[in-house]
Amino acid sequence: MALLTRLGLGLSESLRVMPHKAFSVSAAAPAIYKMTRVRVVDNSSLGNTPYHRAPRVIHVYNKSGVGKVGTRVLLAIKGQKKKALVVGHKMPGERMTPRFDSNNVVLIEENGNPTGTRIKVPLPSLLRRMDGEYSKVLAIALKFV
Amino acid sequence: MAMISYKCVTSCSRRILSGLLNLDAVRTNNIKCLHVNMKRPCVATLQSRYTCCALRHDQFHPVDYVRCSGKDRFYCDLRSIRDDTTAHNEDIAGSPAMSLSADPQNADLRRKIPQAFNIDVLVALLRQENAVDVCVIKVPKSLKYTDYFVVVSGSSRRHLIAMAEYAVKVYKALKTDADPHVIIEGKDAEDWMCIDFGHTVVHFMLPETREVYELEKLWTLRSFDEQLSSIPPETLPKDFIYDDEATDWRSGFGDLGGQERL
Repeated sequence: MALLTRLGLGLSESLRVMPHKAFSVSAAAPAIYKMTRVRVVDNSSLGNTPYHRAPRVIHVYNKSGVGKVGTRVLLAIKGQKKKALVVGHKMPGERMTPRFDSNNVVLIEENGNPTGTRIKVPLPSLLRRMDGEYSKVLAIALKFV
Repeated sequence: MAMISYKCVTSCSRRILSGLLNLDAVRTNNIKCLHVNMKRPCVATLQSRYTCCALRHDQFHPVDYVRCSGKDRFYCDLRSIRDDTTAHNEDIAGSPAMSLSADPQNADLRRKIPQAFNIDVLVALLRQENAVDVCVIKVPKSLKYTDYFVVVSGSSRRHLIAMAEYAVKVYKALKTDADPHVIIEGKDAEDWMCIDFGHTVVHFMLPETREVYELEKLWTLRSFDEQLSSIPPETLPKDFIYDDEATDWRSGFGDLGGQERL
């Protein structure tokens, strides 16, 4: 997030201000793949109740194993497995496509129905043009980007 | 003056729908009119072309149905506004089944002008399939999503599939080569199916599912929707790491655009 630079603090200062991290931050990697921590952006209870571990991707339903916008992934959330749909990632994609500040994901059931009922976070409108069943997720979204 | 009759449409066979779409049945005068009170205010009235409220317990929905005069070509003349006094309770007696007009002039027109698969055709076929609670919402162009958002209920999964497949069938019959093919999304789901026709998006749901998601509320109220306001505002966790944009290549090194790095 760019909030830090907006607040006027440098990176070194922030390390002084905030507590020491217990984990290491890895280098930049292709968008979303196994063990990526993701942010669930719908209003489902499963995605929003706090847990001591962040939701992680454990499988990407894709030949390449790299998840971009519109890929189905399997998450480990609160000790259970749940399918999800990637709706935005930090990795820059094609020119003139939106790049998000967090790896966003929407929880999905086995039959493709979204688990939550509303999505406040903006979704990329190119989901509509992609091959796949995204209309249900677009129907519960508020904002398109 | 001819208007599509609710009763007649439901008793029609599918074969006759093609006649309906060929506009001949519209022109014949042996169709009963159904008049629905149109003065009732609709929540979703953004343009009074074709709006209806999904009032769950109502048998009929206030629909801004337009009058199709004998001379008009198209099934629903979208330019003319219904005339209350003349069309109200007009009961044109005639044979219950719609018959294709034998008029040679109509036959010529039938061959020349293909009907486009627009919202009126869609709603007509949904009614023919006994769709429950048809709700058509005109979506503003600023959202850049679609023109019409239709939510329809069905009595069972089989009913939803039947409606969806029929809609696709009619679309394929009416589409030109330039129009893309359309798929039914969520065919393996039991309660929610959806079709994206480009200018319209139709959602077929069971009534229980419809109550859970409340799509009509979201698409009419947009940011004022209740479910959205009941989402608690997000707070970042205390150990959240902020990125330094100047060193983050993914953001293009922030406002400096990489000049600092060089």
